[in-house]
Amino acid sequence: MEFKDYYKILAVTPEADSKAIKTAYRKLARKYHPDVSAHSEAEEKFKEVNEAYQVLKDTEKRAEYDELRQYAGQNQSTGGFQPPPGWQSSAGRQDSSHDADFSDFFSSIFGGAHRGQAGGFSQQGFNGKGQDIETDLPIFLEDTLANSTKNISYGLPHRDQQGRINQINKTLNVKIPAGVTDGERIRLKGQGEQGAGNAANGDLYLRIRLVPHPLFDVEAHNLVITVPLAPWEAALGAKIEVPTLSGKIKLSIPANSQTGQRMRIKGKGLVRKEGSGDLYAVLKVVMPTIINDGIRQYWQTLASEADFDPREEWSNS
Amino acid sequence: MQTSQPQYFSFEEICCATELPSRTIIEIIDHGIIEPEGASPDDWSFNIHMITVTKKACRLHNDLDIDWAGIALAISLLDELEQLRQENRELHRRLQRFMDGE
Repeated sequence: MEFKDYYKILAVTPEADSKAIKTAYRKLARKYHPDVSAHSEAEEKFKEVNEAYQVLKDTEKRAEYDELRQYAGQNQSTGGFQPPPGWQSSAGRQDSSHDADFSDFFSSIFGGAHRGQAGGFSQQGFNGKGQDIETDLPIFLEDTLANSTKNISYGLPHRDQQGRINQINKTLNVKIPAGVTDGERIRLKGQGEQGAGNAANGDLYLRIRLVPHPLFDVEAHNLVITVPLAPWEAALGAKIEVPTLSGKIKLSIPANSQTGQRMRIKGKGLVRKEGSGDLYAVLKVVMPTIINDGIRQYWQTLASEADFDPREEWSNS
Repeated sequence: MQTSQPQYFSFEEICCATELPSRTIIEIIDHGIIEPEGASPDDWSFNIHMITVTKKACRLHNDLDIDWAGIALAISLLDELEQLRQENRELHRRLQRFMDGE
């Protein structure tokens, strides 16, 4: 077990007074709070900072920790930290049934701690209700058009007969209603952590994440597809095939179309309670990549015949 | 098979789902952090989004020691930030489709 330097975690000196510790904690807690931070390891960092603060803000715990810190400094060569033989905390020994949020290091010194003290994440209720679990559920756009069934698997804290908390994997078949949106949550009552004794289980919250599609972008309940066109298709007009989420359709491109122009295909967007959205085809004129002498000749004719200056606006400025 | 459905919750049910005392929920409503439908507590109706916002508000209140007015501001700014990030991601993706040779 690694010795945790709580002073280093809070970026304060071992001589720091309680006010300096509180300020340092507040600053880091704001920085790493998982509800606020976009940092990839926010939750882990927040737990670490919180654990450090729980010890250093408490005069008794801090004194015990300082004693151990000194002991660890003198016993570095033993490989990993172990509290001195017979160590028992007088400041923090508590029942060890709720110690999932603190590190093994903390538990080895102070025993378990109630989650109520451990910050907001994965708090077990005061009445022993199991903790709620929140997890992302990736959904393909195609699967939102009609009711679908998804097999999901998620980690759940489970207390074994010795009272230790392990992660177990749970699998469920979940019905996903048509028209779910990105960020929407689905609540499955009682599918979270098991409650203590006769208390209720926690709930499972599934946060819908729409998987980015290789062709379609989502704009509220509409879809957008970029449609590449040959220059002559844009100039002369064309009838082309365009994919939609539910099969291909024919689309008439009018003559003299421009890059960036949007064409609405009614009812081919995402499904919503208030009616289907639309699909927007955004035109993008692309140049052919292979040009032989014959083709170049056509372009040259076009260049001399067409009276067109694409930078006309510049000459006025 | 677990069926999910867009659920609506009464005042009592949201207290139970969030494990918060009714006075805390009322405080959160008074600050406009969530806005249930219905005129009085007996008629109030909450959706799942309001449950998750309430839980988030409480975490911020407890962990960062922010008062409810501050929480209301933080949550509306966080929502705006998330919306802008989402919009930015979408625009970036669409720009890529235009820039890349397809």
